Amino acid sequence: MVDGSKILISTEDLGLVYKLGRGKGKSKNPKAATLTALRDVNIGIREGEFVSVVGPSGCGKSTLLYILAGLYRNTSGKAFIHGHEITGPSLDRGIIMQAYALFPWRTVEKNVEFGLEVKGLKKNERAEIAREFIELVGLSEFADRYPYELSGGMKQRIAIARALAYDPDVLLMDEPFAAVDEQTRTLLHDELLRIWDKTHKTIIFVTHSIDEAIFLSDRVLVMTSSPGTIRDEIEIELPRPRNNELKSSELFGTYRNKIWQHLQSSTDSTREVTTILGRHILDTVPQEAVI
Amino acid sequence: MEELELQEKKPNILLTLYQKSILIVVLLILWAVVPLYLHNIYVPPLGEVLQEFAKLASTGELFKHIGASLKIALIGLAISQALAIPLGVLIGWFKKIDTYLDPLLVVMRNTSILAILPLFVLFLGIGEVSKIAIIVWGCFFPTLINTIQGVKTVDQNLIRSAQSMGISTTGLFFKVVIPASSPYILAGFRLSASIALIVLVGAEMVGAFYGIGFMIFNAQHAYMIPRMYVGILTLAILGVLVNLLSTKLENSVLRWQETNTNAV
Ligand SMILES: Nc1ncnc2c1ncn2[C@@H]1O[C@H](COP(=O)(O)OP(=O)(O)O)[C@@H](O)[C@H]1O
Ligand SMILES: [Mg+2]
Repeated sequence: MVDGSKILISTEDLGLVYKLGRGKGKSKNPKAATLTALRDVNIGIREGEFVSVVGPSGCGKSTLLYILAGLYRNTSGKAFIHGHEITGPSLDRGIIMQAYALFPWRTVEKNVEFGLEVKGLKKNERAEIAREFIELVGLSEFADRYPYELSGGMKQRIAIARALAYDPDVLLMDEPFAAVDEQTRTLLHDELLRIWDKTHKTIIFVTHSIDEAIFLSDRVLVMTSSPGTIRDEIEIELPRPRNNELKSSELFGTYRNKIWQHLQSSTDSTREVTTILGRHILDTVPQEAVI
Repeated sequence: MEELELQEKKPNILLTLYQKSILIVVLLILWAVVPLYLHNIYVPPLGEVLQEFAKLASTGELFKHIGASLKIALIGLAISQALAIPLGVLIGWFKKIDTYLDPLLVVMRNTSILAILPLFVLFLGIGEVSKIAIIVWGCFFPTLINTIQGVKTVDQNLIRSAQSMGISTTGLFFKVVIPASSPYILAGFRLSASIALIVLVGAEMVGAFYGIGFMIFNAQHAYMIPRMYVGILTLAILGVLVNLLSTKLENSVLRWQETNTNAV
């Protein structure tokens, strides 16, 4: 798995069991009140690597990401960053969510400064760094706007700038482009790869779109549900820089089929998979793969 | 690719002004004219009321009453908000407290303040203290309940996002929870500000030596009818001013919101 470069993030038999119910304390049947979201997850993410986690919704992708972010506590196994066990959130990890989660009462610039404030930087230092990263995502002219004045794609670029500003080692992205339109998404893919190339960050990218995962990644982890676990991983050996023509290449199609089959074999009927995965994956799967 | 609609429609200011004021102007004209033919002592024409207004203003008596009323209203409002906002944040945040407290709050806020007014007088007399206390009571609940609601409905993603950056609990309160619930808190404040005036007048009618409420009540007793109308008119103007100011405050604090649905 390791090809010379260092492992940045790893997990050892990581698991999480949710307690269900309204927190009433002692339940008569404790087993009925739990849900195993993750079981025996073992991953190793290399420094600077772009890894996607693909799987049907509800399989535990967000849960895994939140554990890595330190926002959720795993109930079994361990997660590590830099060889140290993850016990809580820290500025060495930046999380980017589907719903942008920009602070609506802050201007674009003040949003990007948020992590820097937490870090305790001085006002002028914060402003300087914020401007640098707003420029990186190409939105300098919107620095003084409020989030409601921005489109979805712009909001997500600001969310990325906000996470990059405090200089984390890894970006944890939870279906960041799922809410934007197809055209914008394509642009954001190029943009993200450009930023990745420039900043050398490690990126863990969660998605339910097979194409998105292949296009962006060095490696794709295929996740299946009940309980959520990593079923397989596929090294993506497409040349970089990636461009859109690659999507119609033979190799791309091979990866697509391979991932599709992993997802499919984990469920009894194809229809179930396709409905779980939703339209997006159905669209991206070549006809012959849908048996 | 991504373009912003930046056009803001400028409404015709004159037209809006006309639409907003025409009814009030008509009513004032009716008030000025109709009583001249009515010859009813209880309905003096506007002119007479304005004369009385000018007289009371020139002797300074009117401002003494206004000053006395505003002082008590402002102190009561300030105390109530200083209590309600922090408490509301705590109750909204710690959901356990809310479960226990909610039924009691429902009872307290639905009990007419006029009904408990005598209780305050009984315990605290008819001086300033009892008036301030009753205003605190009246202004406390709207803000408290709004603040609780605001804190409870803070977008969890915003909290997670801030937490992912390792923010402290204090930081989380001041940088996320309170700004995120500020629309609710300010709506509560606006409500409280108008309640302060209403409750105050009630309290002054029960017993006082100064204040607009006292002035109205006293004038009615003494059959000084124009003077009574001056008091009512003054209150109406004060009420509008209070609403105007609190709406202004709300709009300037909440300019980050997409829609400003606050009616004047
Ligand atoms: N806070 C929670 N409490 C209880 N169950 C949860 C919670 N969050 C997620 N789950 C459940 O855990 C499973 C995995 O959820 P999630 O990690 O959000 O999946 P994904 O991100 O892949 O869609 C789902 O069945 C979901 O309903
Ligand atoms: Mg998810």
